[in-house]
Amino acid sequence: MLISLPEFIGRLHPLLVHLPLGILLLACFFQWLILHSRYAFLKPAIPAMLFWGMLSAIASCISGYLLASGGDYEGELVQRHQWMGIYTAGLALILWIAHQFFINEWIARWLSVGLIILLFITGHLGGSLTHGEGFLQEGLQAGKKDDPVWKAMPDLQQAQVYAGLVQPLLQARCYSCHGPNKQKGKLRLDSPDWLLKGGEDGKIIKPGDAEKSLLIERLMLPMDDKEHMPPREKTQLRADEIAVLHWWVNSGAAFDKRVSELKQPANINQVLQRIATGQQPAGNIAAAPADIPAAAVAPGDTATIRRLRQAGVMILPVAANSNYLSASFFTATAPPDSLLPLLTALKKQLIWLRLDNTPVSDASLRQIGALTQLTRLQLSNTAVTDAGLPALQPLTNLHSLNLVGTKVTATGLYTLASLKQLRYLYLYQTAVAPADWSMLLKQLPGIQLDSGGYRVPTFEADTTELKY
Amino acid sequence: MTQQELHNQRLLKEAEDAIRRMHTRRHFIKESAMGLGALAFGSLLGGCGRSQPGLSPAVSNFDPVHPLLPKAPPFPGRAKSVIYLHMAGAPSQLELFDYKPELAKMDGQDCPQSLLAGKQFAFITGVPKMLGPQAKFAQHGQSGAWISEHLPHFSTLADEVTFLKAVTTDQFNHAPAQLLMHTGSPRLGRPSMGSWVTYGLGTENQNLPAFVVLTSGGNFPDAGKSAWGSGFLPSVYQGVQCRSEGDPVLFINDPKGMSRDLRKASIEAINDANRQEYESYNDPEILSRISQYEMAYRMQIAAPEVMNINDEPAYIHEMYGTKPGKSCFANNVLLARKLVEKGVRYVQLFDWGWDAHGDGAYNALNLGIINKYRSIDKAMTALLLDLKQRGLLEETLVVWGGEFGRTPMMENRNGAQNPYKGRDHHTEAFTLWMAGGGIKKGFTYGETDEIGYSAISGKVEAFDIQATILNQLGFDHEQFTYPFQGRPFRLTDVAGKVIRDILA
Repeated sequence: MLISLPEFIGRLHPLLVHLPLGILLLACFFQWLILHSRYAFLKPAIPAMLFWGMLSAIASCISGYLLASGGDYEGELVQRHQWMGIYTAGLALILWIAHQFFINEWIARWLSVGLIILLFITGHLGGSLTHGEGFLQEGLQAGKKDDPVWKAMPDLQQAQVYAGLVQPLLQARCYSCHGPNKQKGKLRLDSPDWLLKGGEDGKIIKPGDAEKSLLIERLMLPMDDKEHMPPREKTQLRADEIAVLHWWVNSGAAFDKRVSELKQPANINQVLQRIATGQQPAGNIAAAPADIPAAAVAPGDTATIRRLRQAGVMILPVAANSNYLSASFFTATAPPDSLLPLLTALKKQLIWLRLDNTPVSDASLRQIGALTQLTRLQLSNTAVTDAGLPALQPLTNLHSLNLVGTKVTATGLYTLASLKQLRYLYLYQTAVAPADWSMLLKQLPGIQLDSGGYRVPTFEADTTELKY
Repeated sequence: MTQQELHNQRLLKEAEDAIRRMHTRRHFIKESAMGLGALAFGSLLGGCGRSQPGLSPAVSNFDPVHPLLPKAPPFPGRAKSVIYLHMAGAPSQLELFDYKPELAKMDGQDCPQSLLAGKQFAFITGVPKMLGPQAKFAQHGQSGAWISEHLPHFSTLADEVTFLKAVTTDQFNHAPAQLLMHTGSPRLGRPSMGSWVTYGLGTENQNLPAFVVLTSGGNFPDAGKSAWGSGFLPSVYQGVQCRSEGDPVLFINDPKGMSRDLRKASIEAINDANRQEYESYNDPEILSRISQYEMAYRMQIAAPEVMNINDEPAYIHEMYGTKPGKSCFANNVLLARKLVEKGVRYVQLFDWGWDAHGDGAYNALNLGIINKYRSIDKAMTALLLDLKQRGLLEETLVVWGGEFGRTPMMENRNGAQNPYKGRDHHTEAFTLWMAGGGIKKGFTYGETDEIGYSAISGKVEAFDIQATILNQLGFDHEQFTYPFQGRPFRLTDVAGKVIRDILA
């Protein structure tokens, strides 16, 4: 797209403004520095610096005016920035003239302090325009930008969809470029009227049809598309946030409806529940495995963890941001039976336990039965038998149980039918009789039983080479 | 002026010029010393701090005393280990997974100009002929994935894996393309993916290396050891190359006359000397050297046991199709399963010999390469099934692929048709599959045009695959950094996007 000359000059504004900032600041600094006899030789440079600084300040004013009249910027902040810029250029001109007429050096010196202050104010206002108001404070509060937009809302169903969900989201992610101070693409999103009006590409909301609404379409474009919104370097919307916008537009983009008044498909229901409880998954992060509880937990007892580690047990949080623990005994230096009692102190946190290839036996399973939070338990290649399995009945959260290479049979496994959360049961190389499989499948519905023992047949081609 | 005088004058001028050149260079160095000093001072003042507000500060996660201590991933990962099967030389997607009946119709025709204009190939020059698929295809499983007759075993697993049909690269030579795939840069010097992973997660088993590399096929991959090097990460994170033939690690057994006690005493003496060295120089690499000696000592006991595939039962050997005592892909695959079972984090396999140019019978698609298919089919099928029955596939991510694809055209070197059926290197589309570790089962992502020349949807590049692998292990690839030369570095540098559509 070709742009006109005034627009081109306008776009040079962000570049030009750095010239007066640098030159004038240094000139003012020199005015004080020459008081020291060692730097007196800098004196003749000052008028020249003031001259070029003043000229570049005027050029910045002109280019800034052209940029603002391009239409992307409007509002009080722009006005304040504009007038401060003009004052700055004016004061620079006065100072330069003053130097031409050799007025009192001390007057010039104090004028230069005023100029420094003006430069700072103008520069800050300009920064607020490009980065959004309050950008400096944000820099001090690390991480704030990525915080969830919505705080937990227990009475979410009674909240207004627009005022409670949509508007805060637009404010957090969009207003800085499409708000009162800046209107990129001639688009404002900070009131219902502006939202309905649209921008230079036309209307952005087609009520009832999110797929055809520019507001949603731009969010869904791939990251590397130059039309993608928000721009790559800005904070991106999370999946849940896009889902809420999508749902709002699809439900008619009403500005006065409550959450309970709109139809809530299953996927939205889940999103809304997450918002209500304040548990919003972060944007760039993998979905957690299904077997990590959603509820938070207090950190485990550090003394116990240390003792287990000293005994060679690998005990770690399941993730750096979680207090839930996983423990693995295959490098343990002491027999597991002597260490298992220690785990009771961590029963709230411990969810994954590996005891494969260790000398645990049926007696040990009673200790394990107390660890009711366990979701993953690996007992492969141990001396566990049917006699021990009933001890696992309290493990109602168990998701996956690995009994590969143990002596268990169908009789013992029937006792696991009470484990309602159990999804995976690995039974390769167990003593389950082939005739019992069909009964097991019936008795343990909803559980994926893996009998293992897969064979890969050997074809002639597998052992011969093609001759050529 | 005589000829002689003129000559002398020229010589004099040349000498003066030379002096002037010296002089300016000296000046330059003298003057820049000041600038360089200032630069160095800047980095002493605290590096570059935060790269972006809100991002975690660029600090290293490196503990020189316990470099391999297990660490929790930043987020709960779906996978705990990775087995990466790299077919070095680049297998042909058109003979294995990307079924193109339209290409068969074009077999023997001249390649249309539209496919050649402005393109660069490693060998093809002039106008090559199109080459139809050198295999029969059929649909398999509930997912209906097309898999060729060359993989009769693997085709039974169509419903276990996700195929990425539109992988692309920008490197058409083996070494740079392999480096790009494994280190995120086609040039030397970056850490490999396995090194990043061990740096981030440590190892669950302190008696074994965290990152093991196994090669087969008679040659190393073209990228050489840089494909599993640690780059600028501390050297303790580099891949440890092991063998399935002879000693698993070279020199792992004590030489004759060296008893275990003597070995222990000598390692302690070496470590004492190193510790004194550390006290005077404070170089953390010395500490990692000490811990490497200690690990090597422990490995002498643990490694031969784990790396010995002979103690596996006969039916497992039959399942994988191993060749005991030899070095081959099947043996390496079985070894990979054993290592993952024992807590090894990242096992990288390279199988050499897939470069199907057709300049000889050994690399012709219908002759030598057939034997390559035979050598991997049973073994990789057995690997997935064996991991599955042991309950390990849920937490082990298996990746199979090459460094690029192969052209739908038959290769013609220097304008003349190659003597055998072969295809040139192709960057615009190839197939890679992933299984386990939280990846969808029986799914295909991405599509190529009707002759398999270029990607038309679901296009991904090496960075996206790396981002996805890291994601499955619990890392946000954009936050997983190491400070080096004043800035935080990432495996995916400034690119990469997790392929969310293939996650279960």
